[in-house]
Amino acid sequence: MVKLTPRMKDWIEGLGCHICTASTKGMPTVTISRYAKVISDDEVAFALAKDEYAIIKPDLDENPWVAFSVSHLGVVKAPYQFKGVASIITSGPLYDQIAAEAKNLGIETSVVLLVKVREIYCTRPGPQAGWRLDTRPYEENLKLDEKWSPPKPPPRPQ
Amino acid sequence: MEFIRKTNFIFGYFYYCSVLRGDLKMVKLTEEMKKALKVVGKGGTVVYLATASASGKPNIAGMRFIDTYKDEFILIADMFFLKTKMNLYENQYSAVAMVHPFKDREWVFRGEAFLFEIGLLKEDPNFEWHGIKAKEILEEWGNWAEKEPPEEVPPDVRPPVLKQRGVYCLHVKEVYSIKPGEVGKRIL
Repeated sequence: MVKLTPRMKDWIEGLGCHICTASTKGMPTVTISRYAKVISDDEVAFALAKDEYAIIKPDLDENPWVAFSVSHLGVVKAPYQFKGVASIITSGPLYDQIAAEAKNLGIETSVVLLVKVREIYCTRPGPQAGWRLDTRPYEENLKLDEKWSPPKPPPRPQ
Repeated sequence: MEFIRKTNFIFGYFYYCSVLRGDLKMVKLTEEMKKALKVVGKGGTVVYLATASASGKPNIAGMRFIDTYKDEFILIADMFFLKTKMNLYENQYSAVAMVHPFKDREWVFRGEAFLFEIGLLKEDPNFEWHGIKAKEILEEWGNWAEKEPPEEVPPDVRPPVLKQRGVYCLHVKEVYSIKPGEVGKRIL
């Protein structure tokens, strides 16, 4: 079972993410999400504005798989790749909550992209590159949390 | 290898025919883009390299050794490609996204990619893909860590040994924006 560590959660929420989708023919598309919230041990909700969603909608209509990684400095300091299956939420309590929180960052939420994380990979260069973190004992991943610095993300670049 | 060369020639013929017909347009990276993709020594440029399996399972991983070549190609060192490599073996489509999408650098470059593996230098240095030869790429960028040591990479992240296995080459066919409010807008 996938379980995000506290460090993963902090960096995902702190800096936002680059999200990659793909058509069933294999054409990848990258969009950004400026607001992300981890809502359970294996679920992440992204607030997407109309344009941020429009570019990946054709892919998601035919293929729910997404991969995402932390934006900005997260590429170096939070070397994680998360893969999972996405669903689109356009109304309801979760949508209302995420949209309200995203509005504080000036984001007009069009849809909430809810990703159920199924795989986590390490993208750190060196011998750990490619490790599948979600199949390791959770306690071992917590040790990586303590080892990798800094524990918290820096302020989001403006 | 002869089969690959012939296949490549046939593919190239149809590709240029389609360019002439206007089905596909040649894209030329701007000087600003080239500069943004090549900032070594000041924190380095990092990008996200996106690929997908033939069935459409996406993959996105951060990359640090980046350069451009001949107005329309983006090069990235294969130091630790794993899933990326498997995807490239079965699916040529790929994208490169700026990791720090700010300061007017909000771009995603998308096109067809090929992995020039180091062995080509000895086995078939004249192997050609989209008009560029394996030796052109591998002689210049085949030992990237020695050419441009990653001195700006923090010591806690820098790997102890860098052994390059090839050079990823993206033939850019489109550039779109990931600037908030304009995501998806075609730039080139």
